[in-house]
Amino acid sequence: MANIVTSVCCVVLAAVVVVYAQRRSQQGARIQYERIGSDVTMQCGSLDTNASVTWKVNGTDVKARRREEGSRLVLMDVNMSSNGLYSCFQNPDGERRDQINLRVGLPPREPQVTCRSNTYPKGFYCSWHLQHSTYIPTDFEVNVQHNQRSLEVRRDEVHKNRCHVKFPELFSSFPYRVNVTAVNALGRKSNTITFEEFSIVKPDPPEKVVAKPIPNNVRRLEVTWSSPSTWPDVENFPLKYFLRYRPLIRDQWQHVELSDSTSHTITDAYVGKEYIIQLAAKDMEIGTWSDWSVAVHATPWTEEPKPITSTTEVEVLTDITPSPAPPSAKPRVGVAAGGCSTLLWSSHLLLACILLSIMW
Amino acid sequence: MAKLPQDIHQAQLTLLLAAVMGCSQVLDQSVSLASERTSIERTYELTKYLDHQLKEIRDTYLSYLGPPFSDRDFSPPRPNSSSLSLPSAATRVDLWRGLENGVRLAQNQRAYTILLCAVKELASSTLCPYLQSSLLHFCSGLSGLLGAISGLMNTLGYTPPSHGNIPPLQGTTPIISAAPAPNDFSRKVEGFWVLRELQSWLQRSAKDFNRLKKRLRA
Repeated sequence: MANIVTSVCCVVLAAVVVVYAQRRSQQGARIQYERIGSDVTMQCGSLDTNASVTWKVNGTDVKARRREEGSRLVLMDVNMSSNGLYSCFQNPDGERRDQINLRVGLPPREPQVTCRSNTYPKGFYCSWHLQHSTYIPTDFEVNVQHNQRSLEVRRDEVHKNRCHVKFPELFSSFPYRVNVTAVNALGRKSNTITFEEFSIVKPDPPEKVVAKPIPNNVRRLEVTWSSPSTWPDVENFPLKYFLRYRPLIRDQWQHVELSDSTSHTITDAYVGKEYIIQLAAKDMEIGTWSDWSVAVHATPWTEEPKPITSTTEVEVLTDITPSPAPPSAKPRVGVAAGGCSTLLWSSHLLLACILLSIMW
Repeated sequence: MAKLPQDIHQAQLTLLLAAVMGCSQVLDQSVSLASERTSIERTYELTKYLDHQLKEIRDTYLSYLGPPFSDRDFSPPRPNSSSLSLPSAATRVDLWRGLENGVRLAQNQRAYTILLCAVKELASSTLCPYLQSSLLHFCSGLSGLLGAISGLMNTLGYTPPSHGNIPPLQGTTPIISAAPAPNDFSRKVEGFWVLRELQSWLQRSAKDFNRLKKRLRA
């Protein structure tokens, strides 16, 4: 029993020692960032310029084009293969004096910045990226100005290259200026974009798109959806929608634009054909259309299961059911006027009844 | 015995009258509500039309002003209120949401009253004839909008604010400063801001009328 305990202890101790040693050896190394294509000078610690040292990279001899000048190693025209852990050993005792982790890269170029508001009127977010890689760690500083004031910027927890800003006011006449600076050990570069509040509004696509056949209607499909969940206030900031649909076998889409309604009935579907349907959303007045929603498929109701045949224009004529006028897209005034005439008629009826009862 | 039929007769007549009155009142209300919704809808469409028209006029006007106004993304600092009394469309979301119908309309009315004067002054000081006639044509559209807003306020029973509240319109205090030896550049900046603020107001008004439509429907 005691033997087992002792051996376990020994193993644990050995592991700890190894890890500590490894850590220590790496801790000694300092990182040196250099530009691709340049000549790099590495200095061996605080040794005299005339001291004699031996250089190794990742434990092996340095084979690249170089000049050794006393305690300095000069690598010529470095590239990505020059990356490595360089160690220098003092001659003749062979004691290691320094360790340099050489990382070769590029200074940053202008970052590409875009901003968008999918949560209008709450706020907007900006994303950025570098078109060309720097190969070394690069940070970004973001600054947002509006009406000569700096706005508070909140970095996204998940997306590294994204930040969020709240709109300080609505219907502003002042533009927003977003400045993103890319910074790394070799340099910095910034880019500024300017925009007006209304131009960056772009909602997320509509959600929960459902298309269903309607029983006993061979040419109809009922489509329902909901406003994107990221849009905070669809009541005060209503959306309008764009619905497009086509049978799978055709390339041309048909379009319907709908205001402030989350359902629509397609009344001119080809009998028995499978349809693909998509939706997009936009603020009623400002900004741009969202991306298309996820596509849904649906086939109109048929009396018995039909195999999908190749369609021709003639097939349209075989359907003799008259399609009544399209619903939902009617302006609301029409509904009010309709209600009015019903009221008029019923009041006339009432009058007639009263007159009759008097005469009776 | 003879009295009874007469009483019944009278009661029936009263009932008849009451029914007729009731019917006509209900009719009236539904008709006026419908017509209000139509006039709000029309005013809404008018603001969208004017917004679209203004974009073109603004582009022409900015090229007329020349650089740096004609440069993309150029935005001069707004002149302080002593020289330019433009109503700002900017507001906090929560305040905007909670606006009473009457207050909402009154704010719009006040803004366009001032802006109409400002655009008229702009037109009169514009040297390019084509631009001047475009601006004057736009002014007639703007005054149509003002009329529609005033009409709405009357129909909905909101008293328009007394003229004492609005700064004098009849030319005594020009909106755009006519200060001694006005700097040409600062006059251009003021002209820029008149049209910029007008654009913001037209965008805001569209949302204002949409909001009104919804509140009245409820």
